[in-house]
Amino acid sequence: MIDERTIELINADIDGELEPSERLELDGILDSSADARAMRAELLSLNNLLESLPEQKPPAGLLQEILNKITLPGEKSAFSLSRLFTSFQPAATGLAFAAGLLVTVSFYELLPRQGTSLDTGGMVGTMVANPATMPTESRDVLAFEGAGLDGSVTLKGNKKLLILEFDLDSSEQVEIKVAYAEAGLGFSGIAHVANDVDDRPVAVETYQLSEGVLRVENQGRQIFTVFLPEVIPVKSGSREISIDVSTAGARVFSGVLRG
Amino acid sequence: MGNNRDFALVERCQSGDRRALEELLGYYQKPVYNAAYRILGNPDDAADTTQVVFMKAFERLGQYDPRYKFFSWIYRIAINESINLLKRARNQQPLDDTEVTGTRGPEAAVEAGDVSREIQEELMGLKEDYRTVVVLRHFSECSYRQISEILQIPEKTVKSRLYSARQLMKESLQARGVV
Repeated sequence: MIDERTIELINADIDGELEPSERLELDGILDSSADARAMRAELLSLNNLLESLPEQKPPAGLLQEILNKITLPGEKSAFSLSRLFTSFQPAATGLAFAAGLLVTVSFYELLPRQGTSLDTGGMVGTMVANPATMPTESRDVLAFEGAGLDGSVTLKGNKKLLILEFDLDSSEQVEIKVAYAEAGLGFSGIAHVANDVDDRPVAVETYQLSEGVLRVENQGRQIFTVFLPEVIPVKSGSREISIDVSTAGARVFSGVLRG
Repeated sequence: MGNNRDFALVERCQSGDRRALEELLGYYQKPVYNAAYRILGNPDDAADTTQVVFMKAFERLGQYDPRYKFFSWIYRIAINESINLLKRARNQQPLDDTEVTGTRGPEAAVEAGDVSREIQEELMGLKEDYRTVVVLRHFSECSYRQISEILQIPEKTVKSRLYSARQLMKESLQARGVV
């Protein structure tokens, strides 16, 4: 029977965490106890096995993907939706320009209607500062890469409202389908960001609502946020929002956001 | 893990220095990915989590307290995000519950890939508290003190969880003839 002190010393020995006095203590125990020697040998074998496992290589391109998504303080070349919308609420009345911003925000409210289409290219509005706190905690992220599409969609939210932040760049026409109704969610609006600082043209987007699914046609650079309020409460667990991406009629990506 | 180096890079990042960002990511992308992979057991989840970790870390860079080591901070975010994903996961692959009847003798050859898979299965069989300390100790090479800082638990708790986890893994792997 090996006592707790011996177990502690053996494990610390394996981890290289023994003090000199403890080393002497353990050496004395090992000299006199075959059981202690056996335990040490077994744990050393396990340790060697664990440490012999190869390091996993991150997928190629992951580093660049991460770099593309991060904006540092003071940088002007990229735009962070999460900072912009930390206190933002769809408002029916009164909008005010935030001084010093080099962006314009298009915002409109839609009721979920069958087959509603909206061309946002000509719509320009302003941002409102609102004391209500918008959810900012990321719940899930999907990243797209390939088939001419690069970008991500981040799910944030609280119990009553989920928001999807899209950051997309597609060289070809792509269709993104967001199925929200099955998750017990409704649709209350889109905030579209046009970045004046970026020299690249912003795409003219087309949105369509039909049967609880939002379809977005995109080509070029697009940054926008979709607001999905709770319609059917969930008692426990998380909601799932499926995202399908197609180009030229063929699906190139499917994923699920959970939050 | 050069604390002074990291502190200097963080300061430069806070001033908008993109090269400092690339350098920091260069140091930490692989270790964070590895830790996430060993906790989640899935390369796609590990990649997604790694992205989220760094996006969150640099979003919150203004909140970083330089009294604490940067690597402790980034690993804490990585562990929390990995655990959060585990809790949300609905498609976690079930462990193979098949009873092993008889044992493989020590002379049996085990392919390197099989061993890696078996170790990862054992890891996934541990409860999250145990798995986290094993990953931080054996795959991230953190000391007891570093693990204690990352997980914000006493060193005594780190040791207790680590020793228990090892015992469980040892017994299970012995029963399967891996060790």
